[in-house]
Amino acid sequence: MNRGSAAIAAAATLLLAAAHAAAHAPVHGGTLTVGIYYDVDTLNVYVTAALGDIEAAVVEGLVAPDEHAHYVPVLATEVPTLANGGIELTRHGAAMRVTYHLRPGVLWQDGVPLSSADVKFTWEAVRDPHFLAESKDGSEEVESIDTPDAATVIVNYRSVSPAFASTLFTFGILPKHLLAGKDLNHDPYNDKPLGTGPFMVSEFRRGQYVVLVRNPHYWGRDAAGAALPYLDRIIFEIIPNSNTLGTLIRAGEVLFAPRIPVMLAKQLRGTAGIDLVTGPSLGWSYLDFGLKQVPALRDPAVRRAIAQAINRAALVKAAGDYPRPIYSTVLPVFENLFDPEPDAAVPHYDPAAANAALDAAGYPRGADGIRRRDGRPFELGITTQSGDIDGEIAEQIMIAELKAIGIAAYADNKSGIAYREARYKGAFDLQYGRITTAADPVYSMFYGTHGPLNGRGYSSAAMDAALARMETSLAPEERRAASAEMQRIFARDLPSLPLLSYVSIAAKTQRLQGYVTNPTNMTDFVTIAYWWLAPPGGSP
Amino acid sequence: MLESAAARVSLVFLVLLAAAVILVPLCSRYAYDQQDLGLIGQPAAPDAAHWFGTDTLGEDSLTRVFYGGRISLEVGLASALVSTLVGTAIGALAGFFGGRVDQCLMRATDVVLSIPLLPLVLLLSGMFRPDLPLLVLAIGGLTWMATARVVRGQFLSLRELEFVAAARALGAGSGRLILRHMLPNAIAPITVSATLAVGSSILLESALSFLGFGVQPPTPTWGNLLNAASPWIGTAPWLALPPGLLIFATVLAVNCLGDGLRDALDSRD
Amino acid sequence: MSPGLLLRRLLGAVPLLLAISLLLFTIVHLAPGGPTDVYADNPSVTPQALAQIRIAYGLDQPLPVQYLRWALAMTRGVWGYSIRTGRPVTTEIAERLPASLLLGGTALALSALIALPVGILSAALRRSAVDRVLTLLSFAGISIPVFWLALMLQLLFSIRWGLLPAAGYETIVDAGGDAGWLDHLRHLAMPAAVLSLATIATWSRFLRGSLIDTLQQDYVRTAYAKGHGTAGVIIHHALRNALIPVVTIVSLDLASLMSGAIITETVFAWPGIGRLFVESMDARDYPVLMGLMMLGSLALVLANLCADIVYTLIDPRIRYA
Repeated sequence: MNRGSAAIAAAATLLLAAAHAAAHAPVHGGTLTVGIYYDVDTLNVYVTAALGDIEAAVVEGLVAPDEHAHYVPVLATEVPTLANGGIELTRHGAAMRVTYHLRPGVLWQDGVPLSSADVKFTWEAVRDPHFLAESKDGSEEVESIDTPDAATVIVNYRSVSPAFASTLFTFGILPKHLLAGKDLNHDPYNDKPLGTGPFMVSEFRRGQYVVLVRNPHYWGRDAAGAALPYLDRIIFEIIPNSNTLGTLIRAGEVLFAPRIPVMLAKQLRGTAGIDLVTGPSLGWSYLDFGLKQVPALRDPAVRRAIAQAINRAALVKAAGDYPRPIYSTVLPVFENLFDPEPDAAVPHYDPAAANAALDAAGYPRGADGIRRRDGRPFELGITTQSGDIDGEIAEQIMIAELKAIGIAAYADNKSGIAYREARYKGAFDLQYGRITTAADPVYSMFYGTHGPLNGRGYSSAAMDAALARMETSLAPEERRAASAEMQRIFARDLPSLPLLSYVSIAAKTQRLQGYVTNPTNMTDFVTIAYWWLAPPGGSP
Repeated sequence: MLESAAARVSLVFLVLLAAAVILVPLCSRYAYDQQDLGLIGQPAAPDAAHWFGTDTLGEDSLTRVFYGGRISLEVGLASALVSTLVGTAIGALAGFFGGRVDQCLMRATDVVLSIPLLPLVLLLSGMFRPDLPLLVLAIGGLTWMATARVVRGQFLSLRELEFVAAARALGAGSGRLILRHMLPNAIAPITVSATLAVGSSILLESALSFLGFGVQPPTPTWGNLLNAASPWIGTAPWLALPPGLLIFATVLAVNCLGDGLRDALDSRD
Repeated sequence: MSPGLLLRRLLGAVPLLLAISLLLFTIVHLAPGGPTDVYADNPSVTPQALAQIRIAYGLDQPLPVQYLRWALAMTRGVWGYSIRTGRPVTTEIAERLPASLLLGGTALALSALIALPVGILSAALRRSAVDRVLTLLSFAGISIPVFWLALMLQLLFSIRWGLLPAAGYETIVDAGGDAGWLDHLRHLAMPAAVLSLATIATWSRFLRGSLIDTLQQDYVRTAYAKGHGTAGVIIHHALRNALIPVVTIVSLDLASLMSGAIITETVFAWPGIGRLFVESMDARDYPVLMGLMMLGSLALVLANLCADIVYTLIDPRIRYA
């Protein structure tokens, strides 16, 4: 090799090395187009019934759950725990006090400094009965808040609440200087929220898009000390139609789409330049029994038979093999609460046993194979959210499986508000749904006698007692024991049938780096400041 | 009788289609709602076992397309029947009695005509979630106006003819006059109207099902088959082609037939 | 048309609108579940707050009173507040209307551009092969399901060939900025094409029929006898009169602009009032639904009225007794 070509080779190697290094260093700038599958009616995180993807990029809370569902500090300097003195027990262990120290130097996006008065204002605003909000959890348990100085917040609780970080203060802090004295139900804040987060709302066109631009005064810095966020702009395009969303993703007009339907994910498999990222989710799909509406379902033998009719393998296969079957309402990912013992599990697939049980319970089969109940065909409606294509497929499978044990099920789907109303009021025979919880699920919401999400009307003193112990103790061993008992009662009573651990699937361009999935209801966008786009056509 | 080649071809097609939607589901070895556990999850391409392939639940597409054809045609025919009956009744009464009755009925027609059709049908379907018979009534009950206008026009002119006066002089009551004497003479435009109504009913039902209202799975109709197939249009087009093509072909055939009938009956007068 | 007659026609429209509004109001309030659903199932909403909402929306009054309040308010331009977003219904509709008008207007212009020559050609070359082909194509145009056509076009032009954007109104450049008229045109192309197909088919058929009838009139034969060529006869003599019956359906289709193209807007994610209708249906947002239905009906009633007026203006032989 002569000198010239050696030099070229050396230069080329150097360039390659540099390119390789550059390719792994975050690039500042760029616009990320996100396709969201639901309609955005408000940008107030406490009001919205959907998950707050956009809000998570704009508004910050004191703490937030990371990708392992562990809390990390955001606007607070550290997460309060018993160990670091952030949490103190008061009133002889019957109540608690949580102290937060606010991060210094944080500014609202309009330049005003963040202070403890904002935190206190947030609590007062959220718990105000005039404020019609979906997510008021955690505001009632607070008795009072002291703000000795601008950087310290002391929250006095009425009781001991291990799940205190679930909602209030995690969802977001509201700006007192902007909203004090205002009617939050109609304030322009709902269209253009002011936060402390890495991005600011630039434009919100209803039914079309939301444009976020970089917050130049954001407090966040990366490991190298460079200012966050990396991206310049995010455009959230509102595309509630799965076909259209798929087309836009394939065409490269949408670079990221969170929580896409499994149907769409299956079609996008193998598309060049697109990655499908499955994230564990603190969610599960379930079949609820309408105890209020169907007397036959109040017989545990009938519920057990229905449980034995469901073959989760078919549901998994229909969902593209993404989810896993579960047999407990406590997800295995909650290692400190999940009990793997067989008697804590709901019945497995056993159609023979189901048929025998229904025969014994006095539901004879008619000539058409459908059982008779009081002389009439044993029919049950299954309700799920109409328009939810994954749900409708699952529903069809269960209809076929119930037919195999002689129950004629039919689809009785409802949309939007009517669906929620049916859920809350128990106006259904069977209900198929999915739910995503916070990092600290509060099961009494679902199974407690007075639980707001206990539409089916299940009530058991033993269950209430177990739940109370689980939710008012900070000691891990005590919680584990109470949880085990709760699961045993659950397996015996079967108020609901947990089916699959729900998986969230996101479609992203291979250019998007720094993305991590978040299993909680705070959404992936909690870490948006760290996402960056590699230039098109370059490696990796 | 039918001059146009298109109309003749259409008639043959429709007869064959009617035979197919009855016979294919009967002869098929699959039930229309039979799910195949081995094939659940993704539509499978056509092969020897499944000539039209299978859908996401492993159901045989061929059986479903033709069973769905039966439902779509039934809804289309039944709705057209309801629409024609209502329209004929209203048009006949308006045209025969004239005066106040005519004014009142035509006002009612104006009211329904002035409400945009698809939004109204959507509103009703979305709010009341009708089952099949109610769906037929809803569609039929909102599309009778054209027939009413046509029949009214016919009756207005028939009223003046001599044979009517003669029958009346012989003591025939209104009911008898309408049913025995005038209606038979108006049959031609009514038939044309009814034929065309079938086409628009099929399109309306499939639009409803496509948007997620109307008939619910597992019961197939061409409209809800298209709804289920539309997410797969890029990767599994064999699911969407048969129902879409069949809606198109059927409605086209019905329209050509109706047009041919109109020509044939017009030239007879 | 005499001013007296015009006034009478206008006044005649009022009871029609009242009847329509009553019908719509009845339908909407017969439905299971009422407008407070959105709050009724919300565990955080106290009973006191719920009662406040009911009073604010006037839901505690008996139905006839509710209807009167609503009807009176509508005439004053107060169409209520959206349950979903809390904003005035008029704002919701006004925000989305321009997109629908743009789409519908483009489709109608396109239809006129194509239907006119097709109709004339069909009539002039009556019974020829060209006419038969065009007739068949017209039938095809009214027989093809809109949603299927939309999906097929998306598949071809966006997915397979990458020529046109799959959906949406515009490429978003800068807050408030514009991507240029070419970008708008590209987004408009497919939805407008889909939307115009049915109207092209109906208008050209109507024009053909009307032109054929007109061409058989005496005064036209006279024109031929005087030595005018076919084209001249059509354009100078027959066309104007042939267009008269077409006016009715054109005005009805113009009115349909105010209803939005529900299916087309859904498939192409077009931010118009058609999509607003479906979204409001999902949310049981009755105030918005009522507003949209009344708007559509109002447009249809006015369109009929205009068609009548235009009829008398164009053809002085038509007189109303």
